[in-house]
Amino acid sequence: MTHNPWIWVSAILTLGIFSFLYKENPFYRVCEHLFIGISNGYSITFVWHRILMPTLINPVAHGEKLWLILIAIIGAFYFMYFIPQISWLVRIPIAIVLGYGAGAFIPRGIDAAIVQQLRATIITRSTFLSVYNGIWSLVILFGVIATISYFFFSRERKGILKPLSYSGIVFIMIGFGASFGYTVMARISLLIGRLTFLLRDWLGIIH
Amino acid sequence: MKVRLPLLLVLITGIFGALPFLIPHHVIQTADNEFRNSVLVIIGAFSLVLGVGSIIRHHMDKVRRKREHWEYSWVLLISLLITSIIGLFGGIDGNGSLPTNIGNFHFDIQTIFIRMEVPLGATMFSILAFFMSSAAYRSFKARSFEATLLLLTAFIVMFGSVPLSAYLIPKLPHFAEWILTVPSTAAKRGMGFGIALGGLATSLKIILGIERGWLGGTK
Amino acid sequence: MSIWEKLTKIDRRYIYLMLLLVVMIPIIVPFKLHPKPMPPVENLFNAIDAIPPEKALVISVDYSPDTEPELHPMTYALLRHAFARHKKVGILCISLLGLGLAQDALSTVTNEFNSVATTHADSIINGRDYVFWGWQTMPLVPILGMGENIAKVFPVDYYGNKTDTLSMMKKIKNYNNVALLVSIAGGESPFWYITYAQTSFGVRIGVGSTAVMATDFYPYINSGQVTGMMSGMKGGAEYEELVLTKLGLKGRRKATEAMSSQTAAHLWIMLTIVLGNIGYFALRRRKK
Repeated sequence: MTHNPWIWVSAILTLGIFSFLYKENPFYRVCEHLFIGISNGYSITFVWHRILMPTLINPVAHGEKLWLILIAIIGAFYFMYFIPQISWLVRIPIAIVLGYGAGAFIPRGIDAAIVQQLRATIITRSTFLSVYNGIWSLVILFGVIATISYFFFSRERKGILKPLSYSGIVFIMIGFGASFGYTVMARISLLIGRLTFLLRDWLGIIH
Repeated sequence: MKVRLPLLLVLITGIFGALPFLIPHHVIQTADNEFRNSVLVIIGAFSLVLGVGSIIRHHMDKVRRKREHWEYSWVLLISLLITSIIGLFGGIDGNGSLPTNIGNFHFDIQTIFIRMEVPLGATMFSILAFFMSSAAYRSFKARSFEATLLLLTAFIVMFGSVPLSAYLIPKLPHFAEWILTVPSTAAKRGMGFGIALGGLATSLKIILGIERGWLGGTK
Repeated sequence: MSIWEKLTKIDRRYIYLMLLLVVMIPIIVPFKLHPKPMPPVENLFNAIDAIPPEKALVISVDYSPDTEPELHPMTYALLRHAFARHKKVGILCISLLGLGLAQDALSTVTNEFNSVATTHADSIINGRDYVFWGWQTMPLVPILGMGENIAKVFPVDYYGNKTDTLSMMKKIKNYNNVALLVSIAGGESPFWYITYAQTSFGVRIGVGSTAVMATDFYPYINSGQVTGMMSGMKGGAEYEELVLTKLGLKGRRKATEAMSSQTAAHLWIMLTIVLGNIGYFALRRRKK
């Protein structure tokens, strides 16, 4: 067993969270609130030291980029949220960030998520340079069309649309099955990590 | 004014966000970089401060009105205060004006993060493994052909992703990888097109002022 | 209650207890397994190996404590690989809570190398061999800003040094000097890098992702937008296997250590699903 006090602290907090599995209890609640408190304190530290100081306070204190004061005032409009009479001012910084983000996404999203993906789906002669690559690319092409047709609800499912959309379900179920299999792996990995810490670092049962 | 000004701002900044991708002229690129590195950074910092301020306000209100579980709010507020003091005055590397060690015992912000925040956060998500196993046992029934297909695929991927499978059935990991590379890719890509088009439509609606949910009421 | 009904109604606490034992016992008594690296992991490894000396590898540590057990081993493996091959490394974080984790991995791996270094050239020096740029608010700021000038996005690094005074930064100015950017993420930040950094600046992207998100990246591997990927702890173990077999590096391999527990747990989950289904079908038949 370790003599490092910090590892004891980590182990106690770990067991506190695990205690929720039995039932909710005060120990768990304390740990939960501690988690939120520490993460917010951590955020304040870095926002101050690595964002506000070098980007705003130092330049303005040295008389450079004085227009940043105006930007700081716009940023401070976020706090108008707490004053009902002028709470509408909070929309201004939100509008700036939201608008820029939406605008930046449109051309780039079209390229990355649609054009490039379409390019990869389309079959050309070079796809068949390798036989297997060609066959699997045909399967992918069919699968993409089938999946999209499953989500097409503007027409009644009859004629060609019926078997096509059913094929889409088959592909979607395979996709979700693969996701579920990987999700199991993800969750178990997190548990293994914590148990390894308890058994190795805290109890010293394994080395 | 209360609605028109934000809508006008969202339109202007929306166009400004899209322009640099389309116009490589150095004036546009320089303005775009300066906007991001100064304006967005500072506004983003204030939004984080707002988030912390909201949490403090909520929990102080809880303490004042003695709402349910108000005692735990003290834990949050005190831990937030102590961590902030240690971080702000102790410095990021522990070399600030506030000493962050007593002999060999260190309590700088990095130590608090690694020894308290990481175990708390990691354990919180690790208990999902138990809930997932219980849910899998209770809910995953092969009620139909589609459900059976889902389960079979999950079994192949689950077993194929562990090293033991390569020793028992050498082709299984490759088959699991094929499932991920071909049929799963096809399904994800098909759904991805829909998600991307939906995202694009929403972005356009926000810029054009059709989508106004972010205004939080039009008063 | 018949045995079939009992099969469908096992108390959840027994399920929890069995899962705990199934995961714990292989940790205490592990069986050695060597994971076989799959093509996405090999591609990522080879891409890092092929980075020319004048270009850098950028690692974006975009995860937080909740996915630390799954992704932290990947960061260790990547850093060991890069430092062993004397690649220049830039590290940043899109997620604020990734900062502490990135610093933890950096300090551990640099200590590993520096404890056996015999010359100054062999040592891993901050500012010369790696720069930890830190974090900026708004993911768009660093993702797009690094296309123009990294030092403008991060005027000071994580340790408070002026970024443009560091020797590595004299050659690494923007994405043109970055051969590969690997985003190790518990969420969607690799998508942001693909959407913003790659479309605007053509930078190659690698991914280290949680298993939950991994299936969403396969279409991007297929299209070539993602060069290589580590999926979950398995992917981390495969990368560690490559680092061991191809480089002979022997740091602690957390992901590989977990593979015996992972195997047992997967088999247990499959068994519980089968038991539940046996009970379900038996009851259904009885009702008919």
